Amino acid sequence: MTALTPRERIRRFFQREPIDVMPVFSGMGMVTIQAIEEMGIRFAKVHSSGGLLARSAITSAEIFGFDAVIVPYDMCTVPEALGRGVSLYEGAEGILYPTVPSKWKSLDEVSLPKDTTYLSKGRMPAVDEAIRIAKAYENGRYAVGGWVLGPFTMAGQLIELDVLLKGVKKDKERVEEFLGKMTDLVIEVGKHYQRLGVDYMNIREMGSGTDLLSPRMWKSLIQPNLKKVFSELSSPKILHICGSTDLIIEMMNECGADAISVDQKNNVAESRKKLGGDVIILGNFDPYGTLVKMEAQQVEGVIKKCIESGVDAVWPGCDLWPDLKADNVRAYVEAVRRYGEAATPAVGRTK
Amino acid sequence: MGNSEIRERLLKELNEGVVEYDEERVKKAALEVLDKGLNVYDAVMNGLAAGMEKVGELYDQQEYFVPELLMCADALYAGLDILKPHIRLEDLGDKPKGQVVIGTVQGDVHDIGKNIIKMMFEVAGFTVHDLGRDVPLEKFVEEQLRTDAEIVALSAMMTTTMMGMKKVVEMIKERNPNVAIMLGGAPVTRDTADLFGADGYAESAGNAVQEAIKMIGRLREMQNR
Repeated sequence: MTALTPRERIRRFFQREPIDVMPVFSGMGMVTIQAIEEMGIRFAKVHSSGGLLARSAITSAEIFGFDAVIVPYDMCTVPEALGRGVSLYEGAEGILYPTVPSKWKSLDEVSLPKDTTYLSKGRMPAVDEAIRIAKAYENGRYAVGGWVLGPFTMAGQLIELDVLLKGVKKDKERVEEFLGKMTDLVIEVGKHYQRLGVDYMNIREMGSGTDLLSPRMWKSLIQPNLKKVFSELSSPKILHICGSTDLIIEMMNECGADAISVDQKNNVAESRKKLGGDVIILGNFDPYGTLVKMEAQQVEGVIKKCIESGVDAVWPGCDLWPDLKADNVRAYVEAVRRYGEAATPAVGRTK
Repeated sequence: MGNSEIRERLLKELNEGVVEYDEERVKKAALEVLDKGLNVYDAVMNGLAAGMEKVGELYDQQEYFVPELLMCADALYAGLDILKPHIRLEDLGDKPKGQVVIGTVQGDVHDIGKNIIKMMFEVAGFTVHDLGRDVPLEKFVEEQLRTDAEIVALSAMMTTTMMGMKKVVEMIKERNPNVAIMLGGAPVTRDTADLFGADGYAESAGNAVQEAIKMIGRLREMQNR
C-alpha cells in the first residue's frame, strides 16, 4: 500500500483504522521560527492575518514534515471577540504570545453576548480564513487541527484567575453558573470550527490540573462541563490537560472525548494501565526542554520513551516554543517515524 | 490569665485562622494583640507566618490546593494589614530585611505565584516594590536602580515568557552584579536559573511558597534564639 497522505493518516488514526506509521502532529500550535524567518515576517504580525497564520503553519509542516497544521497560536481570540482586548506586543523584542489585557475583575462585571455575533469580531475572521486556506492547500493534503480552551480555562482568560479560584470555594453557585455559560460558549466556538471543517478538535482545559484544583473539585466543577462539551461536539475530539493529571486521568476518560492528551508530568505507563489498551492516549514530551534546550542527539531517547510508555501518538505537552532548534525538530520527527512503525495499544498498522 | 497565656492563645488564633482561612477570626485576634500590647512582630512571625507554614505543608500533602492557598493568603493579609503598621523597628532588631523588586515579566499576565511570594516577603519585613504583571523588561532594571533593592524577583508562568527573564538578569547584572536575582514560575528549573545567571529559583507557586516559607522559617529560628 502506498503511503497515506498526512490528512488521511490522521483521519484513520482517530477512527482507529490501521495506519502506515505514527503521524507527527499536535492539538496545540506547531509554528516554528524557521517558517517565520522564511516568510520574512515578525512573529507578532502573524496572529492577525488569516493568510499569515495559514502560511506559517503550512510552511512549518512542510519544512519539518508534520502531518497537520494547527491554528490559531494564541489563546486570546475569543476573549478579544468578547471585548476583553488583546496585547500583541508588536514592539517587543523576540517572541511573545498575545495576552488578555483587561479581564473582568469580579463576577459582577461579567457581561456575555446574547447571540453569536462575537464569532465575527476581533481576529475570529482571521482564524476562519486560516482554516479555509489550510484546508484547501494542495487539495487538503494536511489535516487541519482546531482547538478551543475548555470552560474553566476560558473562564480564567476572561475573569481574574484568583477571583475564579477563590470563587469556587466562596461563591460556588455563581461560579458554577458562570462556568455553565462558558461551557455553552466553548460548544459554540468548537462547533463553529467544526462547521469550517477542521479534521479534529482539541479542548484544552489546561488550567484545571491538580496543581491547581483538588480531584474532588475537578469531579464536581470541571467534569460535568466537559461532559457536556464532548456530548455536543462531533468526533474526532480530544481532551488535553497539562500539568498534574495522574490523579484525574480516569475522570478525564469519562468525559466523552475520543482521545486524551497529557503532558510530561503524567506517568503515561501508569495511565495506560488504568485506562486499558482501547483508549487513544497522546503525549507527552516537554516541547521546550526537548526542542529548545536539549542537544539534538538526546531527542530520540525522549520520543522513544513516550512511545514505550504507551502513547498512540507522540504529542508535545504544550504549544511548540517557536524559537526551537531545527536539528532537534528533525530528530523528533525522525524518531516518531522510526519508533512509530509498530502498532500502538489503540491503533494498528497496515504492515 | 498571664501575658504568656494570652500570647499563646492569640498566636494559636492567628495560626488557626490562617490555616482555616477565617479572615474574621484573624482580624479579631490581630486587634486583640494590639489591645493587649503584645509584641506585634512576634504575632506576625509566630502567629500568621507559622499558620502559613502549616498551609504550605497541607499544600505539599495535597490536602490543600490553590483555591485554599489563596484564601489562606487573604486571611493572612487580613491580619497583616492590622498588625504591620504597629511593628516597631526595635522589634525587628538585627534580623535581615531589605528591599525587593518583584513582578511578572512582559507577556505574562499570571500573577498568583508572584502575589504569594510578595506576601511572604512582606511578612518577613521586606519592603516590596511590586511592579505588577506584564512588566516591560527594562522596568525591572529601572526600578532596581531607583530603589537600590538587594533582590529582584521575576516570575513567569509560561515557557513562552520565560526567555524574557534572561534579558533582565543580564541587564541587571551588567549594571549591578551584587543584586540577588530570584526566578520563579512553572517553567523555570534550577538549570534554567543557572543558565540565565540567576541566584535562586522556585519552580511553581507551591514550590515558591515552600522556598519563601523556608526563608521565613529561618528568620523565625533566628528570632527565637
